[in-house]
Amino acid sequence: MANAEPELLATLTADEAAEVLALGSRIQLASGAQLFSLGASADHLYVVERGRLSLTLPMQVQGREQDVQVEERLPGQTVGWSGLIPPYRFTLKATALLESEVVALTRSALLDHFARHPFVGYAITRNLAAVIGQRLQVFQAMWLREMQRTVERLSE
Amino acid sequence: MVMFLMAVCLSMFGLAVTAMAFGAATRDERPVEAAQPALRPALPVSIAPSRFFSDLPTVALPSVAASASRPHVPIDVLLLQIDRHVRLEQAAAESFLDYPTVASLHSRTTSPLVH
Repeated sequence: MANAEPELLATLTADEAAEVLALGSRIQLASGAQLFSLGASADHLYVVERGRLSLTLPMQVQGREQDVQVEERLPGQTVGWSGLIPPYRFTLKATALLESEVVALTRSALLDHFARHPFVGYAITRNLAAVIGQRLQVFQAMWLREMQRTVERLSE
Repeated sequence: MVMFLMAVCLSMFGLAVTAMAFGAATRDERPVEAAQPALRPALPVSIAPSRFFSDLPTVALPSVAASASRPHVPIDVLLLQIDRHVRLEQAAAESFLDYPTVASLHSRTTSPLVH
């Protein structure tokens, strides 16, 4: 990895991590280029190697649909876990904020590899669960904060 | 003398015909004018604010009136405020996850979208 150890490959040995990354292909993204769109079929999982990605959701602002950033992804972080989780549809839009590079891992290649190397599959699944769990907890707390403010406004 | 009387008679006749015509013409308009004040209250009142004729009677809904009185924020500024709001809320949520307490969950924000 150019900048950081990938969170997806934590606890794996260097050889195991290299084998997993060798399954993927590198994708270069120009600044502003879209990696995937909301609702698109998700067949890949991505590891950010370089640059910065923006994850956005559409929102109506002054009568116009605008992409509102909900998260940023930096080198070493994982993007597009919908590629491994049913129903295999992206729930966000990913765009490069600056010139970026990702390693794209197909679901079929990963699952085949996991079948041959169960410990690697177990470790990656745990790491992926941590990524998903972290997002869930952050958004849960954000949602509760908004709810609290709504309740306060209603009681005023 | 006869000629003079003829002219006077013809003038009187012409005047009478003109007066009758004027009377008939004004008689047709009067009922409409009288009816209009009674009809005015029954005219439908526009709910939405008029876009073209600002002097027409309108009844604005509270939400519409509120948005009309709210100062217009340029969309770029609003998007920046939303972006800042999301970042601040994420930071607050992550801070709560690091040290989960009721106080950190409901800590105040400086986001302009809230205040």
